This record gives sequence, C-alpha cells and structure tokens, in this order.
Amino acid sequence: MKNRSLTKEMKWGFGILSIYVVWAISWFFYKFVVKGTFLKPYTPELDMKLELALPLSNGLTLGADLLGRSLLEVLSAGLTYSLTLSMIVTIATASIGILMGYMAIKAPSWFKLVFDLLINLVFIFPSILIAIMIMAVAGQSMQGLIFAMIITGWPGYAKIARGEAKRVLALTYVEGARAIGIGEIRLFFTIIIPAILPVMIVNMVLGISGVIISEAALGFLGLGGSPYSWGAMLSAAKTVLLEAPHIAMILSLTMAGLIIGLNLLGDGLRDYLDPNKG
Amino acid sequence: MSRFIQKTLYALLTIFVALTAIFFVIRLSPGDPVETVLGQKATQEEILKLQTQLGLDLPISKQYKNYLKALSKGDLGKTIFGNKDVKELLKERMYPSIILASISVTLAAITGIFLGIMAGYKKNQSFDKFSRLISLFALSFPIFSLAPLMVLFFSIKLNLLPVSEWISIKHMLLPIVTLVIPLSAVVMRVTRNKYLEEVHSQWVMVTRSKGLGEVSILLRILKVCLPTILNVVSIQLSVVIAGTMITETIFDIPGMGSLLFDGIQNRDYPIVQGVIVYSTITYMIIYFLIDFINEKLDPRTQS
Repeated sequence: MKNRSLTKEMKWGFGILSIYVVWAISWFFYKFVVKGTFLKPYTPELDMKLELALPLSNGLTLGADLLGRSLLEVLSAGLTYSLTLSMIVTIATASIGILMGYMAIKAPSWFKLVFDLLINLVFIFPSILIAIMIMAVAGQSMQGLIFAMIITGWPGYAKIARGEAKRVLALTYVEGARAIGIGEIRLFFTIIIPAILPVMIVNMVLGISGVIISEAALGFLGLGGSPYSWGAMLSAAKTVLLEAPHIAMILSLTMAGLIIGLNLLGDGLRDYLDPNKG
Repeated sequence: MSRFIQKTLYALLTIFVALTAIFFVIRLSPGDPVETVLGQKATQEEILKLQTQLGLDLPISKQYKNYLKALSKGDLGKTIFGNKDVKELLKERMYPSIILASISVTLAAITGIFLGIMAGYKKNQSFDKFSRLISLFALSFPIFSLAPLMVLFFSIKLNLLPVSEWISIKHMLLPIVTLVIPLSAVVMRVTRNKYLEEVHSQWVMVTRSKGLGEVSILLRILKVCLPTILNVVSIQLSVVIAGTMITETIFDIPGMGSLLFDGIQNRDYPIVQGVIVYSTITYMIIYFLIDFINEKLDPRTQS
C-alpha cells in the first residue's frame, strides 16, 4: 500500500518535470537554433499596440505582457533561464559541498574545528539576506547571483556529505578496498562518490527548487541576474494586477507547477531511499 | 547557570563571526559598491568623494576595524541620500515588521502543530491525504507568487479586504495569511513525521496500557515532539525574515522590508547593510534563545 503510493508520487513528479524540460528544450531549439535569437527583438511601435493583450488575441496564445512582448515567449525564456541556472548552481554547490564535507573527515583537527564553525554559521545564517547583500553590492549581474547562491548553499550539502561519507567509510567493503591497496583519490572517486550519490541526488532535486525560489525572490526584489527572471516578471505583473490579472496568474501557476514537480520527485525519491521515514 | 553563560558566550562569538562574514563577503563579492551606486558615467571626483564618505578608500584591515568599532556603538552609518541616521530609520520602521513576523510565526506554529498531529493521528485516512496535498501546494507557491493571487482573489474579485497599507487589523489580515500558509505547511509536515516516529515507541504503549485517555497521550507525544518542531521553526525564521520583507513590499507596509527595498532601488548601500546587520543579529538572538529553550525541554540535546 505504502510503496505503491510512493511510486505514484515519483511518477507524478517525473511526469510534471518532463513536461517542463521538454518545453524548455524545444523552445530553446526553436528560438536559438532555428531563429538564432534568444527573444524577438523589441520593437516599441508595434509592441505598444499589443500591450497587455488578452490571451488568444492578436495571434498570441497567452497574450502580451507590459511591454507588449508575447507572454508565452517571455515565460519560456524565463523557464529556460531558471532551469539552466538552477541546475548549474546546484551541481556546482553540491560538488563543493561534497568535496568540503569529505575533506572535513580527512583533514587535521584544526581544519575540522574551523569547518564546523563555518558550517554551523552559514547553516543558521539567514542565507537570503546574505544573497540580497551580495546582489545589492555587486549590482544585478549573473556572476554576483551565482556567487551568492553558491556561497550560501554549500554548507547544507557539506553537512549531509560528511555524515554520509562517515557512514560509508566504516563499511567493510571500504576496508576491503583499503586492504587491496587502493589510493586515497581513487577511493574517493570510485567508492565514496557512488555510495553517497543517491542521498546527494535527492537533496539536489529539492535544492533545485530552492534555487529557483531564491532566484525568483531576488528577481522580485529587483536583484535578479537577468530580465528573464520569473521573479522580475512577477514584480512587473503585480503593478498591473487590476488591468491584467491573467499575467500574474499564469506566471504564478507556471512557477508553482515546476516547483510542485521538483518537490514531488524529491520527496518521492527520499521516501524510496529511506522507507522508514515519511 | 554556567551553562547559560557558556551559551551566551557562544552566541556572542557566532554573532561576531557572522558580522565579520557580512563584512568580508561584501568585500569579496564581484562588483564595486561605489560604481553600483553612482553608475558608470560618474566622474573620478564623485567616485573619490563617495569612497571617502563610505570609508572605502582605507586599507581593508582599517575598514574592518572601523566597521566593528561603529557596530559596537550601535552606529550603522548614514544614508547616502539625505544623510539620515540608518539606526533612526530602522527604529521607525521595525515595529510593523516585528508585529507581522511574530503574529505570523505564532499562528503558523499553532495551526501547523494542530494539523500535523491530526494528520499523523489519522494517518493514511482522507484527512491526512488531503492535508498533505494542501501542504504540497502551500510549499510550492513562494510568497511573492502567492500574495498577488491572494490580492487578486480576496481584494479585487471578492472585494473583502483592502489591498495595501497598514492601518487596521483588516489590513493586517492578508499579509499575515500569506506568511502563515507556507510556514504552517512546513511545521505541519515536521510535526506529522515526528508524531509518526514517536507514536509506535514503547513509552506510548505503556501510557496507553496504563489507561490514559487519547487526549492526554497526544499531549504527551506533543511534548516529546516539541524540541524538533521548535528547531525547525528556528531554522525557518530566516525564511520568515525574507518572507516578511517580500510581503511588506507587496502590501506596502512601512516596515524594514520596504526600507530594504527602497534602499535597493536607490542603491543606498548603508541602508541595505544596516537592515541586513540588524536582522541578522535579531535572528541569531532568537535562534540561540530557542536553542536554550530546547535544551531545557529535552536535556538530551546538550552536547
């Protein structure tokens, strides 16, 4: 009974996510490979006429936004941007986290002390605040955004990786590998990484949705790294809530759908790996 | 009592390290605050003037010393535009934020714990399934996408509640609900999981075989779950702080969040730094207070 409902959760998550991924990839191919531009160039005269056009009017499926750009196009650009950015950031963050977490086991004790303090600090630090601070100083740049996301994100992964690696290192087959004379680096890449990867992947799936939300929150505050940020679009849509409520609605629902997909998949995977919980 | 002193010292150390971290992360991050403030067309003269005003022309060790010295006096600097004292501005603006955040957290904790226990008690029945589904949705709408929908529904479509400002209880309702929804969903999930962990343990069986009523058993389980829940609430506080700020900008509440937002818009970087430093210190004090309460509730967590 329990197992069946869990796989259902994962299936739903996977299904929702694949719609989004197919959407993003096909839009990217259509625009970038076929048309050769990321977005239709902005033409004020033509676009002003389309400003806040309703869905299914003027040949626009979802209508137009504040600047008269096709909402579907802007939405797709935002999706591609948000998915790519969050995946890059999550992979980078998790890699740094795994490396630091493993080093914390192997390193001399003074390093462990510093590491513990650092992890505890960043862990209880209101991370969005430090991201806001960085972005406010750095100006709205992509480097600043990625820097902010990575610096606030890695301790979470490091904490989990350290715990997992400690558990794996105590297992008999690691001892066996050591007895054959495996080198430290080879041990890390061929034994530790594959063993801790499942747990890390679960956290990365949930982490991606976290990155998407924080990125959009920064964009909403006017601190995003790109005009394609969903947060920035929502912030603009909020100002025309009376005239064109459908824009905010479409944006919110699209974003929520993506996050629901990621959360379902992450939760499902976690319960699948650790059936005692959940 | 020595435990309390030990804890306080550790909290002070952490706050000190956090303030140091704020300083160095700002200096390390790509981009130049002066250029961000003035834009790229600024003359050399203007740049130099602002650098001296902000103390950014000094060597970094000297800057750090000045920063700590000013903070120890509670001085958060002056705003770039209007030359106002940041501390005074914060004093003016903090009450709405504090009211909003504390009411929301309290309400979210109460509803979350209640729903979580109910869901755990009725595990796999329709109430449980329904509330899990709702909590999934609640967690998937970030505050800035939930709030416009709420405004749209309750203020524009139904015309029940005012859209913005901060005058009466009626004005507070929508912002509070917006904050309570995602937060109570998190609390509900944790409570449910912790309840299910505890409910099959032997001590519950003992109390049951002694003939205690369902309600008093539930209360006893709740007492055991409380440290875990409090812990999660304290971690969620950082989400609350950010959420309060975003909610304030959406509903036009004259709190610290809208102060921060204005600071960001005007590129008034002392305001941004002031709000961040202030909320970090507040957050950490609350975090350590909860930590201390947790130890009192469950002596096993002492380490």
